Amino acid sequence: MTDVMGTNAISYTPAIMANQMISGLNTAEAQQANDEEQLSTGSTINQPSDNPAGAAQILQLNASLARAQQYSSNASDAQGWLSLGNSTMNQIISTLQQAKQVVESVSGANLSNQPGSLQALADQVSSIGTSLLNLANTTYGGQAIFAGTGNVSQAYDQNGNYLGGGAAPTRTVAPGVQVSAGVTGEQVFGSGTSGLFGSTGVLAQISQDLQTGTNASINNVQTTDLQALDQAIDQVTAQAATMGANYQQVQAFSQQATNSQQVLQTQMSGIDSTNVAQVTTQLTQSQQAFQAALWATSQLSQDSLVQFLG
Amino acid sequence: MGDLALNIAASGLDAQQTAMDTISQNLTNANTPGYVSESVQLAPNAGGDLLGVGDGVRTVGVTQNSDRLLATNALQTQGILSQTTSLQQILQGAQAVFPEPSSSGISAALSSFWQSWDAISQDPSNPAPRTQVVDQAQNIVSDFQQASQQLSNLEGNAQTQVTAAVTQANTMLQQVASLNVQISDAKGAGSPPNALIDQQNEIMSQLATSIGAVSVPQSDGTVNVDVGGITLVQGSWSDTINATGGTGAMSLVAQSSGATIPASSGSVSGQLAAINQYLPSYQSQLDATANALASTVNTQLSLGFTATGASGAADPLFQGSGAAGLSVNGAVATDPQLIAASSTNVLPDATNNGANAQAMAELYNAPTGPDNQYQSLIEGLGSQVQAVNNQVQAQTSVANAAQQNLQAIQGVNTNDQMVQMLTYQQAYQASAKLISTVDTMMQALIQAS
Repeated sequence: MTDVMGTNAISYTPAIMANQMISGLNTAEAQQANDEEQLSTGSTINQPSDNPAGAAQILQLNASLARAQQYSSNASDAQGWLSLGNSTMNQIISTLQQAKQVVESVSGANLSNQPGSLQALADQVSSIGTSLLNLANTTYGGQAIFAGTGNVSQAYDQNGNYLGGGAAPTRTVAPGVQVSAGVTGEQVFGSGTSGLFGSTGVLAQISQDLQTGTNASINNVQTTDLQALDQAIDQVTAQAATMGANYQQVQAFSQQATNSQQVLQTQMSGIDSTNVAQVTTQLTQSQQAFQAALWATSQLSQDSLVQFLG
Repeated sequence: MGDLALNIAASGLDAQQTAMDTISQNLTNANTPGYVSESVQLAPNAGGDLLGVGDGVRTVGVTQNSDRLLATNALQTQGILSQTTSLQQILQGAQAVFPEPSSSGISAALSSFWQSWDAISQDPSNPAPRTQVVDQAQNIVSDFQQASQQLSNLEGNAQTQVTAAVTQANTMLQQVASLNVQISDAKGAGSPPNALIDQQNEIMSQLATSIGAVSVPQSDGTVNVDVGGITLVQGSWSDTINATGGTGAMSLVAQSSGATIPASSGSVSGQLAAINQYLPSYQSQLDATANALASTVNTQLSLGFTATGASGAADPLFQGSGAAGLSVNGAVATDPQLIAASSTNVLPDATNNGANAQAMAELYNAPTGPDNQYQSLIEGLGSQVQAVNNQVQAQTSVANAAQQNLQAIQGVNTNDQMVQMLTYQQAYQASAKLISTVDTMMQALIQAS
């Protein structure tokens, strides 16, 4: 309508002003909503489009974090196995030491004419054998710790036959790292008739030699049997040392898993965490912008020549 | 003298009256969509007077303050904006199908699934952790099915929208054709078809936002309607658009020629892009993720042995393919002892061996595994939504600017109209005053004689 007025200034119709105000209101409100979402969730990535590469990274870090938590859980399970294994091993060693004391006490006196006390010593060795068998069948959470990956409830039967599997169970404690959660009974006690619990095993042999009660058999107790017993103790001690080393290893990996969880969480908050100070300032600004837009809208169409013409 | 002066003043009254009518029409239509403000064209009448005094004023006509270039520009930017906006709505819907990053998405379900395998390895002979693996597998399967179903629903909704928009567009094409007839009739009868043109403009604006139609003005005052080079309205003739094809291959076809209409702007074009391109791509990436899960898990299982020492190859955990077709093997779900957690077939070890389950848990970040597939799906989807969000923002300001420029010419400026109203009012009063003055002069003459 420049023909009558002869002016070339841009003409603002009420429709343009209304559109501008709607658009201003929407922009201010969207900004405010976005800031509020960031503050309330504490995270800058609330949908993939907020930061697509960041979102993919978060998914990856989350998966790694879950995995690291599982490593921790695996490590603490292994620690449970190994700490029970170690204490059981210590009991086994001290029980074997008792047997050794019995054998050594025979050497202290000539007992060949006292069959009754020899019988008592033989019984003592037999009962040591029974308690060792019980220790060898110790379970952790229902699983026999010396049965390896084999029979769950029992590592040895009454005759000293090994019922378990050929390998000790392992736990994954770090990417690609598996640690044995124990040793097999076979490695500690052997199996069958010649095993520690077998009919020709060292304990059975001692018991039998004591019962026989001859000079020759007592001599056997003091020499060959004692040697065999020492060998058995060495065997158990060596395996106990392996378990102790495994325990140390698991503890180190457990610590490592905890550390890597912290690192992952730090990485994640670096990508994802809301900078509260910054967003709060932004929110104040966008609230002001929104209020300004609201105020402007409330003034819409109040200022027009129509008002002044009465 | 008196006669001529009275005539001139009377023509002034008429002219100012018409001008006031125009202003009244403008003000009442200030908010009417498609209305183009009008202005009255006045011209002096050449007089027959020997002295050269003119013969008053005459109304040449009432013209529309239209600007074709700006109008076309506004329509095009609006069409492109509505294309992007409709695509944005669908893509945001697709993004909502995958609530990531969160503790309830497919990614979290996969994590829990992988971790559940280590629980088996901690206690392989215990049925509880095995059942848990089956439960987690079933969770993932239903997550996949749900996501796939939601994507299909989005696509179905988009198809419905396209069909509805096409039906509406066909009605509008007929309206444009019938307005063409009325406009040329009105022109033939010598009356200005301004109101009809306004009406036609408004329909064209809707057609532009819906199917990206462009109007091509003809010399006879009618318009042709053109979409992507295909003429859909010419004079009184209008074509019908058909939406053909379904999932992944929907297109618009002109009924008369059978030609495909290449809509490159308007909301329908955004919806078609989602139907034919974006949604099928998400669907196939989701399928690939599901297939990667099935093959990764089943392959590892086939390397292991069940609790009874049988080969795991006979008892896969996942069956079927694709996100919608994936299912948990019923036999394994019934008897979780069939999960090949053992790495040995020697008994009794197989019963209580979890080495294969341990190996499975480590596949959580396998390069060809489902997690990587899913992450790239999320990254791709996020990037596309982000891009379309940015486009909408940019195109909104472009479209607003175009609309503003157009409104500045075509719209009704209340202040402007008010000033004109005062001007015409004063001119009217002046003409009236002139008549009464001439009257007084005439009376003076009569009384004097």
